[in-house]
Amino acid sequence: MIEIILMAHVLFGVGCPLATLWVFVDVLNASPKNLARIRRLSLAAAASMWVAFLIAGYWYVIFYKADKAVILKGPWPFAHNIFMETKEHLVILLLMLATYLPIAAAGNLTANRDARRVVLVVAALIIGLALTAEGSGAVIAMGVKMGLLAR
Amino acid sequence: MKTRHLHPETPGLSKSTRSFGVALALASVLNGLLVVVKEKSPAVQSALQKLTGHHWITHSAIILALFFLVGWGLGRLNGGQGIRLTARQLLATLVTGVVLGGLIIVVFYLVGD
Repeated sequence: MIEIILMAHVLFGVGCPLATLWVFVDVLNASPKNLARIRRLSLAAAASMWVAFLIAGYWYVIFYKADKAVILKGPWPFAHNIFMETKEHLVILLLMLATYLPIAAAGNLTANRDARRVVLVVAALIIGLALTAEGSGAVIAMGVKMGLLAR
Repeated sequence: MKTRHLHPETPGLSKSTRSFGVALALASVLNGLLVVVKEKSPAVQSALQKLTGHHWITHSAIILALFFLVGWGLGRLNGGQGIRLTARQLLATLVTGVVLGGLIIVVFYLVGD
């Protein structure tokens, strides 16, 4: 059952960049018709990131110690020393960007080019950082696997 | 035809977009600097640990509180109209802050730790 927590953080973590990508494309074609959807999706991206952050934080604080020990004794210690250490602090940045997205998307995007530019830049930063976090998560999981295989 | 092209564009950004955008840039850089400080100073690491039971929880709480408080505070400047800056200035501040904050963390764990 504990592993469901781990998978849930990945699920919600992926939900954020997916919703953000939709926002990005919709903002490129912003009109009164899709303005409400842009705002709903930007809120969904933020909510998804907050849920992912809280679940991942719970896992990290309570359960990660055992994984960390396996990684550090295995052949891929960098999976913790570089990837996990970096990820656990980059996600704070990602959470703030995701929180900021609905704030930026609350402007009149159909009539304001500046507001659209801000949303597009923030969305691009979220997608880039989220993919980095997902990739780091894969390396960390592989670090655990390598550690277990080496036993 | 896109409806927005039928109407004139209105320049400028909302108070919240400006205020929380600058707060985000600032909190991002401080997030990176706090990583370096706590990893290099066992006293800071220990203090963060004692406050909530885990250094990462305290770290996250400090940075998120800073983001919300600074964003709120900047929104109260200029008689409640918020911090004044153009879209170009906001984007430059935002991107510089986020990239710098991210780079501090990545470079620190790659070569500095």
